[in-house]
Amino acid sequence: MNDVARAGVILCLGLSIAFGAIYFPRALSDLGDIASNNSALSFSDREVAGGNGIVDDQEAVYQAEAIIPESARYRVVTGSGLRNPTPLTLAFVDSWYRYFLMPRRPDVGARWIICYGCDASKLGRPYAILWQDDDGISIGRLR
Amino acid sequence: MNAHSIGGLFALNLLLLAVGVTILYALRGWVSWTELARLSGVAYMLGVAATSVVWVFELIVGISFGLVTIIGTGAVLAVAASFAGHRVGHRLPGIRVGMKIPRLSFVSAIFAAATIVYLEAAFRAARLAGLYEFDAWAFWVPKAKAIYYFGGLDEQFFRELINQPYPPLVPALEAVTFHFMGAPDVVTVHLQFWFLFVGFTAAVVGLLSGRVPPLFLWPSLLLMLVTPHVGGHFYHPTADFLIDEFFAIAALLIALWLIDRKDWQLLAAGILLAAVVLTKREGYAFGASVIVAALVVTARERRAAWPKLIAVGIVAAAAALPWRIFLAVRGLGGGGPEAGGTGLLSNLDRAWPSLRLAVSTLFDYHLWLLVTPLAVVAILAAFAAGARVLPLYTTLVLVFAVVAFTYSTWAFPSLGISREPALNPIVRLTGEVVLLTPALVPLLLASAWRRVPPVVEDA
Repeated sequence: MNDVARAGVILCLGLSIAFGAIYFPRALSDLGDIASNNSALSFSDREVAGGNGIVDDQEAVYQAEAIIPESARYRVVTGSGLRNPTPLTLAFVDSWYRYFLMPRRPDVGARWIICYGCDASKLGRPYAILWQDDDGISIGRLR
Repeated sequence: MNAHSIGGLFALNLLLLAVGVTILYALRGWVSWTELARLSGVAYMLGVAATSVVWVFELIVGISFGLVTIIGTGAVLAVAASFAGHRVGHRLPGIRVGMKIPRLSFVSAIFAAATIVYLEAAFRAARLAGLYEFDAWAFWVPKAKAIYYFGGLDEQFFRELINQPYPPLVPALEAVTFHFMGAPDVVTVHLQFWFLFVGFTAAVVGLLSGRVPPLFLWPSLLLMLVTPHVGGHFYHPTADFLIDEFFAIAALLIALWLIDRKDWQLLAAGILLAAVVLTKREGYAFGASVIVAALVVTARERRAAWPKLIAVGIVAAAAALPWRIFLAVRGLGGGGPEAGGTGLLSNLDRAWPSLRLAVSTLFDYHLWLLVTPLAVVAILAAFAAGARVLPLYTTLVLVFAVVAFTYSTWAFPSLGISREPALNPIVRLTGEVVLLTPALVPLLLASAWRRVPPVVEDA
């Protein structure tokens, strides 16, 4: 049985070394590619990261951050007026802003609005737009 | 900003290492400074585990979580551990001029160099990584940001963010990194997980070097490092790899205890298992699996062994108690399975596909190369050589892992029978076994080659 055991050890070591040697350069290359791709990104692409597939317009993210005070409450309101949404936009835009805009608190009754194609007439009060883009995204405040 | 953040991370990890060194001093001491250097990875992981667990307790009881609390906790732990170490009779060795530094063998030098090159490449990959993973931006990092901004487990965010019952060790640790970086830098936070992985690697090497021949130790480690799923994922700011790292070191310490019966190994495993149960919900199953496996293999000496093992299990499980109470008080639900208990019977049709998914993922070459098959070969070789304790312990841990992975799909009917990360976390779960292999396979190979790995503990 000892020979069987030692054969098992040799098999284990041989395959570990062989596959380690084969895949080591590949692993380094993959890590190098990740590093290169990351460093090729702009600061905003890197910061927004997963949000790039959700928020539709990166500028909206930074405008929301700049316009809405840190101590304020806001809400993301979505609607059918959004042009060129990604498949993820309507499903995840609310939760992505919740992560990104902290310490600002989301609140269903908030006066600060991040409107993603929303119907302004249904917001309940006059909506003063402070920033908007051509895709139907706007940021503003209820009067 | 980035250099400032990285500097902050170095400071934080030095703090964690310092706390861990004092815990190691309390648990076992060291007879030489080179021995401490060898065990610095274990010390670091103990420092991370112990400090993070206390941070979680502080958050639960509502202590304001700022830099003073964070550093004060580390300082109190370090002083308490130093005092305890002194009380039990541990003393620091003197510093001798011309201290003998152990020589590296040729094999160790080659593989250590390869490991360092790999970790350097991983550092560059992690340094500018963005937050792409859904789990990371949907709840792990938002919870950390909430702790950072509001100094605690904010009522609103911890209710509204998904996966409320997940234990908060990782968000607490990330919030601490934000404090040390000076801002919630969601890019540089990836590097903290690189530090943790380096600590894990150093811990495995430190615990096994000198005990098993370098040729048994390093190839297993290198094979784990180069598996396709490890390289691109271990630095993600989620709990998936951290729980595996804590768990693998705990399982290794228990394996060593089965050989050496040194109490410090069990105490250290207890600290790490406490961190395991506070890192992710599957930590309960992971922790139970190693304790039960150790109970089974020590059945013949149960009078001496079982009280200690059961005590470790109880301490680790008790660490989760404050969090469970906190969830109940806030009415956040326990996060149990969608179809646990009798629900499993009404979803019997999912049992076989769930098992097949668990096993096929574990053996998936494109994810984990040959890591699992080679672990099985190492177990069989150890059995063939007449060893019993280590191969049986490892077998049981692997079998329990497969059972847990199967249950995770079977008991959650909303999960697809799929390896697609958006549909099922099975790939992340199986990392538990993969990170365990470089810790246990070298011991199995040593058992198979010459029966019993020698004891090299010198303290």
